[in-house]
Amino acid sequence: MTIVAKVWIEEDCITCDACQDICPEVFIVSDDTSKILAAVRMDGVLDRNVGGAAMAGSTGTDYGEMILEAAEACPVEIIKFELQTDGAVETVAEVAPAAEVAAAPAAAVAVATGGSDELQALLGGGDRSLAILFGSQTGNAAGLAEKTAKLAANYGLVPTVYDMDGFDPASLAQHKRTLIITSTWGEGEMPDNAESLWQSVSAQAPSLSGVSFSICAIGDSSYDEFCKAGTDWDEKYVELGANKVHTTQLCDVDFDTPWGQWVAEALPMIACVDESGTLQEVLLDEMIAYGSGSGEEAVEGDFTPGVIVQEDLSITLSLFRYCPEAADSGWDTIACAVPGHATVEDLLLAVQQDVDGSLAFRRGNSNGSPTSGVRVNGRTVLADLVQISDLVNEGGVLKVEPLPGYPVVRDLVVDYSSYESSRSASEPWMKADPRDGHTLLNGSAMGTMEAATALTLHAMGDVVSFQLLQSMSDTFAYDSDYMGPGILLQQWNRCVDPRTGESQRDALMASIGSEHGVWAETDFTSVARYGSDGRTASKALNTARGKLLNSTNYSGPHGRLVKWYGRSVKWSGNVNETTLYRQVLGPVGLLSNIFDGVSARMFLGFTRTGAPPFRSLQALLAPPAGIGKIPNMINSKVVAHHEVVSLFNEIDQRF
Amino acid sequence: MAVKIAYYPGNAARAASSEVEDCIQPLCKTLGIQLTEIPKASSDGGNIIKQSSPKLQHALVARNLALAESKGLDVLTTCATSHGIMCDTIDEFKEDRSFANHVNNIVARTSGIEYNGESQSRHLLHFLVEEIGLEKVRDAVINPLRLNVAAYYGSSMQRSGACGDDDPFMPTYMEQLITALGGTPVEYDLKCQSVGAPSLLTINKPVMRMTAAVLSDAKSSGADLIVSACTISHANLDSYQSKAGKIARKDTTMPILHLAEMVAFALGHYPDRFAQLRTRALVIGG
Repeated sequence: MTIVAKVWIEEDCITCDACQDICPEVFIVSDDTSKILAAVRMDGVLDRNVGGAAMAGSTGTDYGEMILEAAEACPVEIIKFELQTDGAVETVAEVAPAAEVAAAPAAAVAVATGGSDELQALLGGGDRSLAILFGSQTGNAAGLAEKTAKLAANYGLVPTVYDMDGFDPASLAQHKRTLIITSTWGEGEMPDNAESLWQSVSAQAPSLSGVSFSICAIGDSSYDEFCKAGTDWDEKYVELGANKVHTTQLCDVDFDTPWGQWVAEALPMIACVDESGTLQEVLLDEMIAYGSGSGEEAVEGDFTPGVIVQEDLSITLSLFRYCPEAADSGWDTIACAVPGHATVEDLLLAVQQDVDGSLAFRRGNSNGSPTSGVRVNGRTVLADLVQISDLVNEGGVLKVEPLPGYPVVRDLVVDYSSYESSRSASEPWMKADPRDGHTLLNGSAMGTMEAATALTLHAMGDVVSFQLLQSMSDTFAYDSDYMGPGILLQQWNRCVDPRTGESQRDALMASIGSEHGVWAETDFTSVARYGSDGRTASKALNTARGKLLNSTNYSGPHGRLVKWYGRSVKWSGNVNETTLYRQVLGPVGLLSNIFDGVSARMFLGFTRTGAPPFRSLQALLAPPAGIGKIPNMINSKVVAHHEVVSLFNEIDQRF
Repeated sequence: MAVKIAYYPGNAARAASSEVEDCIQPLCKTLGIQLTEIPKASSDGGNIIKQSSPKLQHALVARNLALAESKGLDVLTTCATSHGIMCDTIDEFKEDRSFANHVNNIVARTSGIEYNGESQSRHLLHFLVEEIGLEKVRDAVINPLRLNVAAYYGSSMQRSGACGDDDPFMPTYMEQLITALGGTPVEYDLKCQSVGAPSLLTINKPVMRMTAAVLSDAKSSGADLIVSACTISHANLDSYQSKAGKIARKDTTMPILHLAEMVAFALGHYPDRFAQLRTRALVIGG
């Protein structure tokens, strides 16, 4: 019997489809080359398999003859393979030089020759299936399940990912190796796709004796019931007699790192469970070494959602350039045709590669990296996230410049150190008072809060890039001392967090209310117009202003402006500018307007187009002198003014 | 047949910026727009009252919108800030129905009306371009502008949902209108940048620097004058331009006029004022 240990494709495939026609279970021919299907490989990757990953399970036996037939039929003789006979590998001499065998990945070599006899027996011994169940509301857990499956192949496992929705509860006991990855929804509830299975398992209580499992739970620690769905499954599996091979991992909103830790520890552990369901813990170190050999390769691949392909756009790219050595700036203009679905970063990369290699910009992670911000056609955007078709139409101009408000280092690269130092100085991180609260499964203390507060906090912190948020403020570029909305929002978010300690809250409020804090923002409408992040920030910081006004009893120019604006509207239904100027500016401010030329500009008629001169005279002479044309010194009341007064009295009696 | 719409002058048109009020009536008459006064309408809070009580500001705005709605009309305003504020309340009511009901209950108790989301806010600029049409405006021109005009939009209404079908970040409506009125639009970068108008009385230097940046950018781009879509920002750009120039050390002297004035002048109203403006723009320069 012919057993193929590994098969791979060398270069120069002519894509004749012969191999695919003979053995479609192993070969697939793409536009440029034939490839070895992931399903028949230990590493679960789809490529030419030049790394020499071994054949998975019994595929080398099942398709051995056909692979040989395909290699023989290949007109350019690029299908190479190794045969296995009684555990020894026989390299096909003419196609596999010794150097290539030596360069093969550790994992592949281990299958054939490495590792102890016990490990060999474990890896080659029958059923190596692994069930990965996910409970997912937004897709995060599903994504992690897919990634986990990719990595599981490194440990000689044959993983299958199952959506909990529609999963047969009676079959749980058949999966001797089970990993569960689940998020928690709402206040400790199961995700929608897991609810039915949870109810069934709870009702039927099937015996899970002989099942080995581990759980990765995703949640948000700002909720009372942090990761409850995961801990519920943990308790249920133990209750039904399953064997927990690794501690349940609790992941907060930044779940990548703790998931990585879990998968690095839980996978080799569960891979040590043999066919009978016994955990061979003595083989753990060997299994870890075995699995780490091809780890990097296994996580490679495109896990991002597919993009909708759009037609090419012919546009003119206008690109800001700055050379610090020459202290010279200017604009490059480049005519280009780009796919509409390409991101701004894709375009910049193309320019860098094909037009000018000296172009400097910050690269992102293709998923909204906070530091990839640029200004494009007046919008502040993340270059690695926003598509060109969202910014310009066919034949249009795409004007790309650095983010405003930050010093430019070179071309589109700005210096974020001012943001970092401001954030460091503002200390927006948690400093909780000691408290008697709940504890997490890992023993660390956890504060509690109302669900509404948790929702508010979550919404306020749901900002893609705080660095970008800084640049949304038009004031930020004109006031170097202004802390900026990105910093202030983080501070305010911490202030309203009930877990924050009193002394920290006081310090944060003092910082927010300082001269360079929330009052330094001249116009929140400039922030609010930038989509949800801008609206979130401007709304939250407006609330911060309200709290400060209350705590300072409307003192200072800002307090006086709000107080007298409100009062003048309440008194007449209209704004009385005379009152405002007098109360907010005061005599010194009014006098300065005279010396600064504001009054003269009014009086000499440079500002208006033909209004009666009396108005100018009135503005200059009558109080408040020097502030310009105030033709209606005392407002008349609007009709039905009492309705306005009633509105004030019903809603806010402070005015 | 005249197009009917309710008129909300905003906070400044009937106070410091009376020239806007002078011009809006004749220009609307020329273009067949019938303005209906809302004498009960109050100030919209100017985003100042909102700092203390967002609910109170929303209630003031909802009451104004309800007054127009009771006549079956949309609201026309000449002020970008007022338009932005009305759009804020309209959006808030759409997004949070329970909040809308709560505020409406108060407005109903105090004024006997409520806002049901039917009456919408329209800025003069969007109304002219989208409803009246540039063709009709062009046909009505008597005194073509024949000036290089920079359009100032500000930030208040330049967001999705508040600027009609115009691009929020690279708008062209005002440039199209300037062209229709016989002027030459001047492109410059800062046409949507805020000049910090809400903080004119409370924050000095940054507001002046922002004002100076807009003025000098327009001037260095070749503009003879700036036309503003915002009555509130008008005060920064106009009354405070010499002070802004001193603080920022930039050349900022330039005539400023409101959108309503520009349209009225081109349509043949106040030829004496227009002559004075041309003299200032082309001879005096500021």
